[in-house]
Parts: sequence; C-alpha cells; structure tokens
Amino acid sequence: MAEESILTDEFLRQLIDVGEADVLVGVPTYNNAATVGQVVQTIRAGLLKYFPRERAVIVNADGGSRDQTPELVRGASINDLQHSTDLTALRTLHSISAEYAGGPATGTALRTILASAELLRVSACAVVSPESTTIEPEWIERLLRPVYKGNFDFVTPLYRRHKFDGLLMRNLVYPMTRAFYGKQVREPYAAEFSFSGQLASHFLGQEIWTHEVGQAGTEIALTISAITGGFRLAQSFLGAKPHVDARAADLVAAMRQTVGALFWSLEPNFSVWSAKSDSQPIPTLGAAQEVTLEPLRINRKRLFSMFRSGVAELEPVLKSILSSSTLTELQRISALEEDDFLFGDELWARTIYEFAASYHKAVISRDHVVQALAPLYRGRAFTFLVENREASGEQVEQNVEDFCMTCERLKPSLLELWNGRK
Amino acid sequence: MPMSQDQLWYKDAIIYQVHVRTFFDTNADGIGDFRGLAQKLDYLQDLGVSAVWLMPFFPSPLRDDGYDIADYFSVHSSYGNLEDFKSFLQAAHERGIRVIVEMVLNHTSDQHPWFQESRKSQDNPKRDWYVWSDTDTKYHGVRIIFVDTELSNWAWDPVSKAYYWHRFFSHQPDLNYDNPAVREEMWKVMKFWVELGVDGFRLDAVPYLVEREGTSCENLPETHAVLKELRAKLDQHFPGKMLLAEANQWPADLRAYFGEGDEFHMAFHFPLMPRMFMGLKLEDRKPITEILKQTPQIPASCQWCLFLRNHDELTLEMVTDMERDYMYDQYAIDKHMRINVGIRRRLAPLLDNDRRRIELMNGLLMSLPGTPIIYYGDEIGMGDNIYLGDRNGVRTPMQWQGGWNAGFSGADPESLYSPLVLNPVYGYQAVNVESQKRFDHSLLSWMKRIIKVRKANPVLGRGSIEFLYPANHRILAYVRQLDKESILVVNNLSSTAQAVELDLRRFKGNILIEMFGRNIFPRVGDLPYLLTMGPYQFYWFRLRKI
Repeated sequence: MAEESILTDEFLRQLIDVGEADVLVGVPTYNNAATVGQVVQTIRAGLLKYFPRERAVIVNADGGSRDQTPELVRGASINDLQHSTDLTALRTLHSISAEYAGGPATGTALRTILASAELLRVSACAVVSPESTTIEPEWIERLLRPVYKGNFDFVTPLYRRHKFDGLLMRNLVYPMTRAFYGKQVREPYAAEFSFSGQLASHFLGQEIWTHEVGQAGTEIALTISAITGGFRLAQSFLGAKPHVDARAADLVAAMRQTVGALFWSLEPNFSVWSAKSDSQPIPTLGAAQEVTLEPLRINRKRLFSMFRSGVAELEPVLKSILSSSTLTELQRISALEEDDFLFGDELWARTIYEFAASYHKAVISRDHVVQALAPLYRGRAFTFLVENREASGEQVEQNVEDFCMTCERLKPSLLELWNGRK
Repeated sequence: MPMSQDQLWYKDAIIYQVHVRTFFDTNADGIGDFRGLAQKLDYLQDLGVSAVWLMPFFPSPLRDDGYDIADYFSVHSSYGNLEDFKSFLQAAHERGIRVIVEMVLNHTSDQHPWFQESRKSQDNPKRDWYVWSDTDTKYHGVRIIFVDTELSNWAWDPVSKAYYWHRFFSHQPDLNYDNPAVREEMWKVMKFWVELGVDGFRLDAVPYLVEREGTSCENLPETHAVLKELRAKLDQHFPGKMLLAEANQWPADLRAYFGEGDEFHMAFHFPLMPRMFMGLKLEDRKPITEILKQTPQIPASCQWCLFLRNHDELTLEMVTDMERDYMYDQYAIDKHMRINVGIRRRLAPLLDNDRRRIELMNGLLMSLPGTPIIYYGDEIGMGDNIYLGDRNGVRTPMQWQGGWNAGFSGADPESLYSPLVLNPVYGYQAVNVESQKRFDHSLLSWMKRIIKVRKANPVLGRGSIEFLYPANHRILAYVRQLDKESILVVNNLSSTAQAVELDLRRFKGNILIEMFGRNIFPRVGDLPYLLTMGPYQFYWFRLRKI
C-alpha cells in the first residue's frame, strides 16, 4: 500500500502557487498566537532586507492550532492586496500555512517543511521557532546566507545565553554529540537552524520518519544525519536566546527528545561514531557563543533532593543499567551533604556511556533507560550550578570544554561496553 | 484610406515613433529624409500603424539629436525642405496615418537667433526670453537631469557675462515662460504646424517650463497654467488635434498634466515601462499591478501612452533605489549599457533576443490600458550598438534588407549618419524587413497580426481594466471591458510552464474565444477556470455569452 502523503491537497495547491523559490523559512507551530505574529513579521523584514531579489516564502506547518496562529502567519504575505509598509519589496512574498495530520508533533512539522523545501526546489531553508521573541531580521540573514551563498549545507545557531541556561545542552547533549560524532556543534538540538535543498532531500530519505525520533527529537536527528552524511557544517551567531524557565520545562520530555534521539542514533550510525576518537571544530560565522551573567534564581535544593530520591528509589532500575562501581559511586555521593556534594566530570561521563550501552542492549525498556537518567542529570546540574556560581563566562565555557574532553577521553569505554566485553 | 473623424482618435491609435534621419535616404547623402519617409509609408500602412510620431526635424546644430532647435518654422536641410514635409504629410493622411510632431517647448539651441539676441546685452528685447542670473545660486537644490555630463543647471555665458538656466545640456538654454512674448511665440510655432496639417504634438520636457525659488522647479502650477493656455488655444482653433506630454514623473504628479481634461490628451506612463521589464525578470506580476494600482484615474477624454522602448535610455528615474539596482544588474551588467539614470538598449537585446519574451512584452503593450507606441525597428527585433556614445546606439539606420547599407541609403557606408548594426545576431544581414516579410512566422508578421487584432477591438484602447489576482503570482491576468465587450488577458511572466486557476464566476456561462486563432475554450462555470500556460505564453480571450 502506498504511503499516505503528509501534504494535504490544500497545502499542495498553495505550494503550486508559490512555485519554485530560492529561500524558505519554516515555522512549526501549535497554538503560538501570542508570539508568532511578531516572529513572522521579523522573518518577513529579514527576507525583505537581506533577500530582496530572491524568491522567498514563509511556510508554516501547524499542528492544529485553535488560536489565530495560521492567520497570523498568512498575514505576513506581500501580494497584490497586502503591501509591505516598512521595506520596499520587489516581488511577491508568500506566507503559507498548512495543518498537518496526526496532531502536534515537531517531527511532522519539520517533515512538512522539508517536503516543501524539496518541492519548491529551494536553495536554502531555515527553521525558526515561533517562540523566539528575541529574533531580529539579522537572524534570517545569518541562517540563510551561509547556505545560500556560502556553500554550507547545515547551519546551527550560536546564542547569547545566560550561563545557567541550556544546562542539559552544556552537560549532556553538546558534549556527547561531540564525543560520539567528532564535530563540535555547539547547539545540536536547536529551535533555529538552516539547511540546503540537497540536505533537505537527504533528510527526507532518512529512516527516522517511521521512528519515534521522527515525531520528537527530530532536530538532533537531523544534526546527526548532516554530520554522518558528510555535509558541510557551520554555526552562525544569532543573538540572545529567550530565557526558558527551567521549572516550567518538562525534563523527562526534553530527555526523550534529546538523549533518547541521541542514544537511538548510535545504533544505525555505529560505523561512523565508533571510528571517531576526537573532535573537530566547525566554521563559526560571527561571534562565538556568548555567556551572560545577570543574577538568575534557580532552585538548586530541589535538584539535589530529586537526585537523592531518584538514586534511592530507582536502585533496581539503575542496577540493571549501570556497572556496580558506577552505581556504588553514585550512591556514595548521594549520601553526601549538600555542601560536600560533587558529581564530577568523569563519573558523569561514565554514567552516560553506561546508559547509552544499556539503551543499545535494551536491558530494560529503552524509554525507561532514558527516563532513569533524568534524576541523575539533576545531580549533575546541581554540581554545575554550584561550581559555576561565581564563574565568569570564560570560566563556564572552559568548564564545559573540560567536560567535553573528558567525554572524548572516556569514549573507548563505551565501545568496550557496546561490544559486550565489559 | 480616410482617417477617422472621431476626436478621440488617439485612444485607438497605434503610434510608430521614428526619426526622419534613421528611416530611408533618397538622395544618397547618408541621412534619411522626408522623401524617404514618404516612400516607406506603404510599409507603415501594411504594418498597421495609425499614427507616426516624428522626432525633431527642425534646423539644429544636432548636438542633442535635434532636441536643440535653432529654427521652429522650417525643416533641417539634411531631411529636405518644407515642401517635402507637406508632401509626406499629405501622403500619410491619404493612407489614414496621422502625423504627430515633436515640439521642444522648454529650451532652444544656444544657436537659435533668439538666444543669440538675448545674450548680446541686458537691454536686448530678447533678453527676457531666457532665464538669466548674475549668480549660479538661484533655485538651489534643483536636481540635475543629465548627471553624466552636467555639473550645474546654470552655465556661464562669457558673451553676456551672466549665468543662464538650463535643465538639460548647457547648450540648451531654457526659455522664460514668465514672459508673455515667449508664450505667444510658441503658440505661433504650434499654429504654424497645425495649419500645415499635423495631427498632434508630442511636447518634450514639459515639467520644467517655469522656475520658482524654493521649489524643485518641476510640475509647478505656473507650468500647468502655461500648458492649459496652449491647450485652450488649440481646442478653440483646431479641434481634434492632440497633445502628448513627455513628463517623466510619478503617476500622482503625472495626473496633473491631464488637468480636468483641459491640459494634455495623453501622457507617457513612464513608471510602468521599467516595471514591465522588472516583472518579466522577477517572474512576478507585483511590480506591474502595484504601479497600475497607484495610477490615478484620468478624465474620460484622456489616455495613457505606453511604450517599451524609445529613442532615449530605458529611464530608471521613476523606480526606487532597490529596483534601479536590480534593473541594472539584470539588464545592464555591462557599464556601456548604462547612461544617465537608465539603460541604453533596444527591446530585442534587452530580452536576449528571446522571441517568446518579445511577443509577451508586445502583448502587454497592446493589452494594458493606453495607446501603444512602437519604436522604429523594434517590430523586426533590431539590435543596438552600445559603443556609439550617448543614446546613438539605439538610433542606427533602419534595416530594410541584407544588401548595401541595409537598403537604407545608396551612399558610401562611411558617410552614413551612423554606423549600421553589424553584429552577426542583430546585424542587417540577419535582421531586416525584406527577409521577415517573406515568412508568416517572422516577428514582423506576428507584429502585424497583433496590431490587427488590437485595432479590431476598441475595448483594448478604451475599455476599463480589472485585475484578477490568481494565487499564482507569475500570472498577470485582467479583464478589459467596454460596454458589452469583455476581453480576458492572461499572461505567464515565467520562463516555465504554469497552471493557474482564475475566478471567473461573474462571467459564468460565457465561452472563451481565443482571439488570435479564434478557437473556442470551455464555458465558464462555478469552478475556478483552469488554464495551463507555456513559458512566457499569453492569451487574449473574448468573452461571449452565446
């Protein structure tokens, strides 16, 4: 039976009207009316300012919003009836919207955008989060230009972030992606990124779409796919990333989308990552990662107590995942007082590798493996917050770099575990 | 063939723009003349044009291709004499072809006796016929038009030891229209030619007639007053004669030149022309629909004049900076192609000699609201020579056949007023009237057909326009309507095949009849009307309820 198309007839009709395009900006949405209007207007300004001659299109893949999200996106069109008041536009700018089937799923949204990019034969495509309220028109240029003119296939962002923002990225996702795949991609799981038309076709041909990572965690799967496919990578500094309140974020969901997708990728890409023993930087366009230091209130105590209770309550699960020496060490530090507590680089790297191997061997349900890592990550995050309480931006970055080096150094242990010799 | 007695004849006209010098030389001196032009009237009649616009043919030092007139009451000796002109005029009228002559009101040549008198002394009776000043600081800030050659709008006259005002070249002093004697004299000039039988005037550079301190010295109310005065006299003494304004201005400023139907009958739509080229290159209708939406309504008796190319550069004054940069990059990448604020190229080379694009642009010219003007030679796809200096590259001899001097002149080739185009692609051996007359599918034959269809349908000259906005922005579609006649025009601006769905529900029940082949297309129903169109293809459909 033929696979059902993810593109509705109505959306296909809109794509026919757009025709061939040079650049595309995709915006995956689901009930983002509060912010998406500002974001698409900024995208529009960026396209008019930096790509006035190119055939440009904004594509919104919507998960079935019940607010005015699609209407707000369509309002960014410049055509016979809607004019641009801020900048002069040479040509029509389509801003189209499609509701994909199956309910909100980032992966489906991205697949819709990828399919649009391929059908419209675009040279460069960027994806922008509808919640990125700090977006400037320059983001569009910084994302699209390196692909459109600079010969790169995949561009990830660099942001100006608070030193305590993106803890999961700093303590797990970045260091492990780097150690596994040998490329120093600072934001492998990003809300903003860009890619070439050629890479869009490559992405669409990947196996991920029938798997869970094709629904959630797709962003990191795309990064890994770009790396393993040998495409030309770069990272481009965008600007400030809006602060996300960590309390509001669902850690387990985030772990599934990032760590789950990362662990999952190790299976099909064994031949690639097993051959990497170090990492290489990728070209950085614009400024490097910037760190801001303004005071930020974070409930460290809660992290610590959740780590402790997690180690205690999940002991049977952890026993099946971790080596006895690692579990013993974790139990030892969980007994320490808060002031003496330290979840060091080596122990944390070893812990992740043992989780990755157990995921591979499916010692228990793979989803449970990923979930069980969450409380341990909280302990590591606690140490990161304490250690960097007084640190400057450079010191924070150096500490992240030290941890990355530790991960790379200990990577052979994963290979041993993977091959079952330990 | 009798000429129409309709006083609004200009609304249905197809105008052919030509310089006497360029068309046909009968005395083998290397320069075209009125006798030659008269001999070629059969060609123009066969082409189907209904009016000829003659560029300046008056005595002149020819430092600006005749726009520097030294005598308004005669004919330049190179082109013949007044009797030759009269014979030509009569022959044209006998063929139903009207004649529009160029009249340069704003300035004269510095060789004109009026200026020679004026500069002699401050007491000379003609002193006040021009705009003099002791300093070059008056009217500060007024833009310079020929930026490539002029540094100031003032020039120092060593004879008179004063500055004189000139908006164009420094050898073209501006007349002083604050002086009633000047206004009266220019009316005498027009009266002279109308009494000979000319049918209208193309008035050159009209926005600049009057100067006032603290203004741009363009489009001033006083200038409009001068023009209205001339129009009133023309209507009073010679009804049915037509005035055409050359005012390279934005639509809102142009509107004033129609007055309340009491100033000009027609005006060139300068801002539309570059946007037609832009829309074609962008493959997007937006530049065209945008400028036409900004175009104000004009009095019922008035009409826009549309053109693709003319004797000047493809002017880019009436576009934004961004649009100008785009046009230069797309149409004039070689710096030789640029002059002043524009592009000095003919139609065919601008369109890469692509027959489909040439046809599409002519289709637009003939179907958008206005009276079309064809620049001589563009009907056969003549090329240009961008290395000839100034705008002479688009003013080369007409290419009649592939033999001696392209059939233009029996003179030695070295003595021609201008070198012929010799390029293997556009040269006269490849592109000429004689060879194109032999084939039904030549550009010339195609031009004859489209002119014939256009002339047979007054709705295209006089009808209203309503744009359709299909979602496919590469398709420019509109309905022209006059009384019960409706014509649907659909243009594909893209280099690739396109599908388009048109909302024609209000024409439900009509059948579409394609106007060139007269083939019937399906009846309009409730559903969107689907058309598939080849690259650069266009359709004209008559809507018929049968």
